[in-house]
Amino acid sequence: MTAAILDGIVLGLQFGILGVGLTIMYGLGGVLNLAYGSMAVVAAVVVSFSMRSGLPAGLAVLLGILTAAGIGLALNLTILKPVYRRQGEARVLLSLILTIGVAFIIDGFLVWRFPIEVLSLSIGGNPVLILGVPMRTGSLLASAITLLTGGALIFFFRATVTGRAVRSVIQDEVGAQLCGVNPATTRTLIFTLSGALVGLVVVMQSMTSPVPISAGFEITILALIVTVVGGLGSIRGAMLAGLILGVVHAMSSFYIGSYITTIILLAAAAFTILLRPSGLFGKHA
Amino acid sequence: MLEISDLSAGYDSKDVVLGVSIDVREGEVVAIIGSNGAGKTTFLKAVCGLLPVSAGEVRYEGRSITDLAIHEIARAGISFVPAGRHLFPEMTVAENLGLGAYPHRPEAGQQSVVFDLFPRLAERRRQAAGTMSGGEQQMLAVGRALMSRPRLLILDEPTAGLAPKLAAQAYESLAALRTQGMTILVAEQQVPLVLSLADRGYVMETGAIQLQGSAAELRDNPTVRRAYLGVA
Ligand SMILES: Nc1ncnc2c1ncn2[C@@H]1O[C@H](COP(=O)(O)OP(=O)(O)O)[C@@H](O)[C@H]1O
Ligand SMILES: [Mg+2]
Repeated sequence: MTAAILDGIVLGLQFGILGVGLTIMYGLGGVLNLAYGSMAVVAAVVVSFSMRSGLPAGLAVLLGILTAAGIGLALNLTILKPVYRRQGEARVLLSLILTIGVAFIIDGFLVWRFPIEVLSLSIGGNPVLILGVPMRTGSLLASAITLLTGGALIFFFRATVTGRAVRSVIQDEVGAQLCGVNPATTRTLIFTLSGALVGLVVVMQSMTSPVPISAGFEITILALIVTVVGGLGSIRGAMLAGLILGVVHAMSSFYIGSYITTIILLAAAAFTILLRPSGLFGKHA
Repeated sequence: MLEISDLSAGYDSKDVVLGVSIDVREGEVVAIIGSNGAGKTTFLKAVCGLLPVSAGEVRYEGRSITDLAIHEIARAGISFVPAGRHLFPEMTVAENLGLGAYPHRPEAGQQSVVFDLFPRLAERRRQAAGTMSGGEQQMLAVGRALMSRPRLLILDEPTAGLAPKLAAQAYESLAALRTQGMTILVAEQQVPLVLSLADRGYVMETGAIQLQGSAAELRDNPTVRRAYLGVA
């Protein structure tokens, strides 16, 4: 029971970080990035290959995260340019079509070139007792990184000048510009950050369970669920939704079995959306 | 300080502001008056980068800012308070003010200047902007615009949607700014109110300047008296 809740909180923070990465792109650029999970898998492949070629794990992980960040940056500076010239629904739709195209290309290429690749960062050592629960070193490390990242994100968005500028663009782009904020620079920064976040999440997941080459779409869908439940564009919404869904996930795999958790997760998401159509912190709730 | 020559602007290739020329000198308060639909908002938005300029030039402190983006104009020292205000609704009063100082951290000194001008904002500093009354939001919009220590403040109908008493208070605050030496350009439909503050004014109708002069001249002008001051 305690184990399930602890697991759930850590998993939930990971879900939250995953959701934040997607939701900030939507909030800032009106872009729903369906290549999100595919970027993560590229990061996983880079980590896997770098480690096999002898790079230390830390460096390999850094390289993977930088690669995902680089893809985010590149998308923002290339194929998303025409997206920003459109407004409202047209912008969201075009971003969906373009990024789903990117996802197909990345996934197709990866499955073709590396069909059996799996990223698994197993870290040795004996289990440690936390609140009377034995935890493996891998999940402990993942939990620590998750907590640090979650804390850093909250600090960035609440307390730094740049983080507040990002939130200001999400809440009122013209208002932000009137204050001297350049939305294009902010977007570039955030798309890079978004890539880094999804890269980081996939690395953390690989510390507790292997990430297969085909995981891209599943990661994207999970991030979408978190984002929609939290309210599109809402950072604190994504964090809260991630935590709730993480705990739901852990409890249901503890009491019922992991085969059914995806369905329960989807049901929880559907239930929230029925009660609050624009999510927990939706703009039009 | 601000020289605008033959500026045209509008929507979807149809201009509604047609060759307007206006200048504002340092330390002056200049009013643009005109009835609803005259083109005041369109004009100010074009000057501040919110709408494209289709012809003409905007010069600020000797250099052309005609084609600059909104944020570049803001960083050049012009603060614009649009009629729509464009506050950050989910942020607190303090956070909204803080962003006014972007890219710098807000200065305590400048924040207390704003709180002196609008004590109400100091009381509400932890309240979310979106939950405040129209009058308070207008104070916050002006306060946020002041946080960057602008050299020129441009306002579009600061009294829109305010009850008469609040409208008068808004102009008292602007008068206080004026005594501190702030240069102000303001578009307004409440003609008596704005002419009591301004040094000079322009009358805009159907996208063009029909009349200009000192505030006293405009107050005494028969056309202005008939059209905007409700005098027969
Ligand atoms: N978004 C818009 N699209 C098309 N026409 C507009 C728009 N906004 C204003 N107009 C038109 O431009 C003219 C000037 O409007 P505006 O600048 O708002 O005048 P004012 O601020 O003096 O009331 C009006 O005829 C109005 O109908
Ligand atoms: Mg107007």
